Amino acid sequence: MSASTTVLPGRSLLRLGPVAVRVRRRPVLVATALLLLLAAAMVLSLCLGTPYVAPADVLRALSGAGTPYDLVVLDLRLPRAVLAALAGAAFGVAGTLIQSVARNPLASPDVIGVTQGAGLAATVALTGGAAAILVAPAALLGGLLAAVLVFALGARHGLAAQRFVLAGVAMAFAFRALTEVVMLAADPIDGLRAQVWLIGTLAGKGWTEAAWIAATLAVLLPVLLWAGWALHSAALDDDTARSIGLRPVARRIGLAGTGVLVAATVTAQVGAVDFVALVAPQVARRLVRAERPPLLCAALLGALLLVLADLAGRRLLAPTQLPAGVLTAAIGGPYLMFLLLRTRGRRS
Amino acid sequence: MTALLSTRDLVVGYEGRTVLDGLDLDLPADAFTVIVGPNACGKSTLLRTMARLLTPRHGAVLLDGTAIRDLPTREVARRLGVLPQSPLVPEGITVADLVGRGRQPYQRWWRQWSAEDGRAVEQAMTLADVAGLADRPVDTLSGGQRQRVWIAMTLAQDTEALLLDEPTTFLDLAHQVEVLDLLHRLRAERGRTVVAVLHDLNQAARYADHLVAMRAGAVVAAGPPHEILTADLVRDVFGLDCVVVPCPVTGAPLVVPARTHTSAAPAAVPAPAGPSVGDA
Repeated sequence: MSASTTVLPGRSLLRLGPVAVRVRRRPVLVATALLLLLAAAMVLSLCLGTPYVAPADVLRALSGAGTPYDLVVLDLRLPRAVLAALAGAAFGVAGTLIQSVARNPLASPDVIGVTQGAGLAATVALTGGAAAILVAPAALLGGLLAAVLVFALGARHGLAAQRFVLAGVAMAFAFRALTEVVMLAADPIDGLRAQVWLIGTLAGKGWTEAAWIAATLAVLLPVLLWAGWALHSAALDDDTARSIGLRPVARRIGLAGTGVLVAATVTAQVGAVDFVALVAPQVARRLVRAERPPLLCAALLGALLLVLADLAGRRLLAPTQLPAGVLTAAIGGPYLMFLLLRTRGRRS
Repeated sequence: MTALLSTRDLVVGYEGRTVLDGLDLDLPADAFTVIVGPNACGKSTLLRTMARLLTPRHGAVLLDGTAIRDLPTREVARRLGVLPQSPLVPEGITVADLVGRGRQPYQRWWRQWSAEDGRAVEQAMTLADVAGLADRPVDTLSGGQRQRVWIAMTLAQDTEALLLDEPTTFLDLAHQVEVLDLLHRLRAERGRTVVAVLHDLNQAARYADHLVAMRAGAVVAAGPPHEILTADLVRDVFGLDCVVVPCPVTGAPLVVPARTHTSAAPAAVPAPAGPSVGDA
């Protein structure tokens, strides 16, 4: 692998046989920093709790040396930390894809109705007496169906950004209202379970859920590699995109479809954790100072956010556990307001 | 004349309204063609259809004799550069980055940059005189600079032909001349075929090798400006009374509107000095 300097300013070229990938230097630095922070946050989340485990013991347990803490670290905390990282990364990826297609920093799976569709389906399953094992598939299906509806509603004018987002927001409200109706009509205990699912929590979840998300991301890896490149021109208008030989509508459907698939999968596994998909891409974009959200950095930032949110949820009011979704909403709400104020300020 | 771009029986419309109805046109290779006509005459529609940004209802656009819709869009992008009317500048993108997007038709996700890409981008920025702005965000530039950056992007595509939709709109006169001089150089020094829609008849007459005058979706006249641009044509196409005199600088036909209601002061229009109302 070699780096060449004859590329554009701030860029390096990575070569590996016939493969040549253009890389910006700043995102590489940001990604490295985020990766280190993520590792630190994960070790921290393996240490903290009752009992407290010293970092040295955590590392020894991870290395397979066999310690008295193996049960706590490897069986109780590690699966949850890995799940948080994977789910957070998946939310970051989904948010980046959907925001780029919508050309709107306020768009994300939880704004355009995918999360609410999954929530409605999960609520129906939870309150309708379906087997626990069917809740996740139902949510996945609900999320995907919701996306199909939103795409169909926004399909005129080639899935134009504005229309697509508005269709999504409208559907999100409709799904939420229906969810409330189902919940009110249901048995109170079932309703409560649905409520917890809707907020999104990692409690009691682990390897199984993590495996589903990891498998989905692994299967989609070639698509994600393509997406990282395709996002490059997502900010161009359709005429310009066509003039340089792209097919913008097919591209949008591919990118948004991938984003929706990832969002529905992760939501089905961990519930409707809000705001990670919304916040991670935009913060990552500001960190790398790019004109669009960077896929890899957004994934790492999403992972970091959810690991920290889950850790805070576990520890803040211990022994009471707050769902991770409450924490992400607590961070995301103010951030959303900040973004709204800033956007308005800049336009005027 | 060899035609690089032609249309055959072209029918184009928007939602029920037909704009072009059975248009046949040949645009010469290695020439600077300018399309003129009143507002809503279909000149932009024609350009956008030739650029495959619009799909015709009927008929075909031919690129070197092959129907453009039968060619893969990537291949078309290597032969035909297109500058749409008011492209959207992605927020915060730098000049070099935007010009680099012009290399898209030569790239794949596993082969995102080649030495050839670097050369083409550098050359395009030099030609359009924006090399000094390479690191600047495009949204901080003036209108004239911005337009040159977009032209540089289409130049980076390294195509034999360039189509531009009103490339001088929103620019002041000096910047208009700058852009038109650049297009002229591309034709004269690099042998590119240039096709542009322009609003200003006098600029069209000054720069075009081949002028196409349109009215109501049809071509009224086509040919070298000094052969076709007459007072009769201007009256026919624009419904404007005028005199046509030779330009004191270039000798190209110069269109001067005749006395109108608002300029009714005596002697506001001097008698045409020297030759020819509507020379040949």
